[in-house]
Amino acid sequence: MMFTISTAFEDLAVCDAETIFALSSGHGRCGVAVVRVSGPASSMVLRNMAGLTQALPPPRTALLRRITDPQSKELLDRGLVLWFKGPHSFTGEDSAEFHIHGGPAVITAVLQALGSLEGVRPAEAGEFTRRAFHAGKLGLTEVEGLGDLIHAETEAQRRQALRQMDGELGRLYQDWSYRLKRCLAHVEAFIDFSEDELIEDGVLNQVDSSVRQLETEIERHLKDERRGERLRTGVQVVIAGATNAGKSSLLNTLCQRPAAIVSPIAGTTRDIVETSLDIGGFPVLLSDTAGLRDSSDSVEREGVRRARQRVEQADLTLVVVDSTQLPPDPQLVAAFLQEHLSTVLPSPEAGMTAASDRVLLVLNKSDLVPEEQRERTEGELRERPGLPPACFLSCSTSTGLEDFLTVLQSRVKTLCGDPLSGAPSLTQARHRAHLQQSVQALNQYHQYRDQDLALAAEGVRLALTHLGRITGRVGAEEILDIIFRDFCIGK
Amino acid sequence: MLAQKLHLLRHNVLSFVSSRTGSDLTRRQYDVIVVGGGHAGTEAAAAAARLGAETLLITQKIMTIGALSCNPSLGGVGKGQLVREVDALDGLCGRAGDSAGVHFSILNRSKGPAVWGPRAQLDRERYRQFIQSELLSTPRLTVLEGSVDELLVSQPNPEEPGHHRVTGIRLGNLPQTSHNKLGEFWPIPPDRAGVTESVDGSHPILSSSVVLTTGTFLSGSLFMGQTTSPGGRMGDAQSCAGLSYTLKETLGLRVGRLRTGTPPRIVKESVDLSLAQLQAPDKQPTPFSFLNTHTRCKPEEQLPCYLTHTTPGVERVVRESVHLNCHIQQDAKGPRYCPSIESRVLRFPGRRHQVWLEPEGLTSDLLYPQGLSMTMPPELQLRLLREIPALHRAEIRTPGYGVQYDFVCPTQLTPSLQVKSTQGLFLAGQINGTTGYEEAAAQGLWAGVNAGRTALSLPPMALSRTQSYIGVLIDDLVGRGVTEPYRMFTSRAEFRTYLRPDNADLRLTPRGFEEVGCVTLRRYKKAVSVRDGLQEALMALQSVALSSTRWREKLGNISLSENKSTTLNGLDLLQYKDVSFEMLASAFPECLSQYFEYSQRLKIEAVYRPHCEKQSREMERIRSEESLSLPSDMDYLSLPVSLSQEVREILDRVRPNTLGAATRLPGMTPAGIIHLLNYVLRTGQRNRHTEHRNRSSQKEGEKGQLCASNIPISQ
Repeated sequence: MMFTISTAFEDLAVCDAETIFALSSGHGRCGVAVVRVSGPASSMVLRNMAGLTQALPPPRTALLRRITDPQSKELLDRGLVLWFKGPHSFTGEDSAEFHIHGGPAVITAVLQALGSLEGVRPAEAGEFTRRAFHAGKLGLTEVEGLGDLIHAETEAQRRQALRQMDGELGRLYQDWSYRLKRCLAHVEAFIDFSEDELIEDGVLNQVDSSVRQLETEIERHLKDERRGERLRTGVQVVIAGATNAGKSSLLNTLCQRPAAIVSPIAGTTRDIVETSLDIGGFPVLLSDTAGLRDSSDSVEREGVRRARQRVEQADLTLVVVDSTQLPPDPQLVAAFLQEHLSTVLPSPEAGMTAASDRVLLVLNKSDLVPEEQRERTEGELRERPGLPPACFLSCSTSTGLEDFLTVLQSRVKTLCGDPLSGAPSLTQARHRAHLQQSVQALNQYHQYRDQDLALAAEGVRLALTHLGRITGRVGAEEILDIIFRDFCIGK
Repeated sequence: MLAQKLHLLRHNVLSFVSSRTGSDLTRRQYDVIVVGGGHAGTEAAAAAARLGAETLLITQKIMTIGALSCNPSLGGVGKGQLVREVDALDGLCGRAGDSAGVHFSILNRSKGPAVWGPRAQLDRERYRQFIQSELLSTPRLTVLEGSVDELLVSQPNPEEPGHHRVTGIRLGNLPQTSHNKLGEFWPIPPDRAGVTESVDGSHPILSSSVVLTTGTFLSGSLFMGQTTSPGGRMGDAQSCAGLSYTLKETLGLRVGRLRTGTPPRIVKESVDLSLAQLQAPDKQPTPFSFLNTHTRCKPEEQLPCYLTHTTPGVERVVRESVHLNCHIQQDAKGPRYCPSIESRVLRFPGRRHQVWLEPEGLTSDLLYPQGLSMTMPPELQLRLLREIPALHRAEIRTPGYGVQYDFVCPTQLTPSLQVKSTQGLFLAGQINGTTGYEEAAAQGLWAGVNAGRTALSLPPMALSRTQSYIGVLIDDLVGRGVTEPYRMFTSRAEFRTYLRPDNADLRLTPRGFEEVGCVTLRRYKKAVSVRDGLQEALMALQSVALSSTRWREKLGNISLSENKSTTLNGLDLLQYKDVSFEMLASAFPECLSQYFEYSQRLKIEAVYRPHCEKQSREMERIRSEESLSLPSDMDYLSLPVSLSQEVREILDRVRPNTLGAATRLPGMTPAGIIHLLNYVLRTGQRNRHTEHRNRSSQKEGEKGQLCASNIPISQ
């Protein structure tokens, strides 16, 4: 819903005139971050941001430069820059790389500076690889891998978008999108029907003021240094499972403090409890959720709803199971867990399957299970296809904690290696770019309002397309739906 | 004498062709058979014949060929664009409109030339006469009065995709019609009035291409008040029961049900027009056709329309009669934008709705109340009308009624409008779920083109949605399907600033001649000369360059936003609202005055050109996705690429025609598209190699071939 094919796939087969950029290294604690630029404007980018007014450096040679903001000329960082003349580059196009310091502030500043340049925009998911594909830089056999990459990246973006749309910022964008949709629908109604129908007087005047209001709001938002809200950063890890499996105990164990109330009473945790952690040097946002069960208590039901929603948005889900509830016969355990996972995880269409590497099973209260049964069960579950890795653990005695942390750490590390999973600076750059283009397009509406309504409508359409890159695409049918809802079109 | 002619026509039209070919007496085989003589059927038959195919048009009543079953008008916003495009491809409806129009106006005149809507009120008789005489004078086209009882199908050609193949039609018993004065509209040319032969009731006629344009006649039922009767139009025989069976049962096509309706016709004399608001036509009529410089109706001969409004009394009658009104209680999908007065009132209560009183023709004594389509019992229709002041003593000539009919879900068609599962079977018009004369004509023309091409062993062709409204229409139909009768709006066309009514000839006519074959040489020459003239004029405009200060001196007081020293050429200047071509031509008469005839087109081009250039990248993307066709017989469930089961099932169910259509499917993933693209490119390459080897030995089978040529991929 958030990222349709068309947005994620917009440049399927075109020799692109646009220049794109993206953070190519993962986020988290890293010394050096790599930002890649590809497209015809790459040399312009280098000249503008690395102060290379004379000549470009020899291709594929690192050069230490001061990196500055092209508009304000403010120093952003000192780092290495590299120039790749097409076709001798990964994408086959002119390309450039910036190797900068890994702090979030520096990365954000550089990405925003890039986004402010004309004809340069943040890359869509998998776009670098796709350009390489179209330039013939990838063998056809490597395309299967490209598919997987795009899948992973769009999935990461989708999850991230879901998370954002939950927040204050998401609601703001959704609201803009809704109002813009109405504006467009009303202009379109005026174009397609006003000659034959009774379209209320003043429809266009209303649109005028709505568009102006939107422009003001978006511009103010773009100027606002606080950016509305802090994007939740880090890998999103969610603890989920049945009531009283020990989810809150796991949270407390992992953060080594009693962040969540634990009690033997089922249903103790009702809302989401969040805490930030550092796991193996990577930022993690750990959430504890209400135990999943059918409840007649409306507060608890809401907690369960939130829990399920959070699981859907998670990068990694830790499914906690009470070991004492496992079937005593180890051979039956796999089937039992499979069944259990299907009740905890969202349906497979959401892109998450039990076998996915986004799930870990935590078999808690292992101290209450006979050692012999535990070992045989462990043997049974080892590398079982279709089941995520399972770790026995006791939150009360800390037995098994070391092994579990090792597994968790490697998962988090893999997730952080994906530069798109939850990197807030890149998201911000994308949003800014689209919002700026949206405002520009709205100017076109005013410019042509009295001269040519078709061109004025084009401006609103374009603005909506850019906003749609953040909130989801809007098709012609949706506009027609609004028209028919708001007007009596009867001819 | 008249009776004799009638007899000849109704039973022996088949013999006309034989009289021309001279060898056998009765032709029982045609290149193309078109079933139905409405807007889709006539365009289809004419297009197939223009292409060079021996074509047979079969209709229940020759007299109703070219009849306007509903509103006496053509064109409008979005629809006018379609008429211009059909005309650019040498179709009939634009010229017929110019011949039959009695009230011309360009809608949306103040909203920008891209969304101008050429429209005309028509004289029903003149329209019918024009279409009938045009068809009669079309070489290679034969018209037969009859009812088609069955579609003949056999095993498919194994080298092409599909489960069936069309082989012809079987005529049913000819309906006993009682029309008269036929000869008046349908003179028999001497060279055709030759041999007579009778045709028995179940007569097969063979053809490898059949176009069905059955309109509302496919399992049609008529509704008025609480009575229902089978049929597709009041006054005409029911039909197509056998055809309906073949489509559903033999071919297994999915069908849905839609409804529409028509208003009562009112006796003009009984209307108090002084209580309605007069709507004058344009002072100077603008012809639909690129071939015409003026219309048959002279400016001063045009008839006015009248505007009036509903009252609370109308709403009361609707509410009181709901229980007597079968049609609106049914759940077949009706259009949201052309609803009956009943559904307008029920959906938007307490409002005043517009009613247009439109002339039906120069000599007609009737008025058509646009906006008052209704299905209540006739006595209540009269009560309702009389609640409107101007109609307070109105008399009804024929009451309004509703129609429900089957349509074939158009996602089962290819972009050439062929049924995917049945080789040689084409569908056009309301049978595909559309509404409107213009939508029908556009599809008819394109189905006729492809039926003709198939018959002549040429590969099928598609129109891109980046190039024409016809392309948008067909792509929407076959790609997305319909849930209500589909009507064209300009907002459906994402490139409407390029798809303008003024440039339809440049967009379509050259291609129609050079590639498609449906455009005559005369029209082609005209379009080429216009194209060259415009090109020269644009160059001439660009060649005059001055600083903005100098421009101000030359043209007087105009507001230019550029600063003083900027150099602007004539084309730049023409973008300004206050600058006309005439002004520039008077400033530079020596190089511009020769292009006066293009002044309006040049002004429009200047304003839109920069925007169209900005959109060209997006257009290029859509075109290349459209050009990657996916074979319709692709076995998605076992395709050897990594696709999830869900994606496979979606693809298998919808069977998109192109990669572009696949990307627009809900549930399709980006990764799935990449795998599909990869597969298509690989197969395409393999095909090209095979083709290369085979080219010398045999004629290549172009159909369903993967054309990946404009995907930039180097190996």
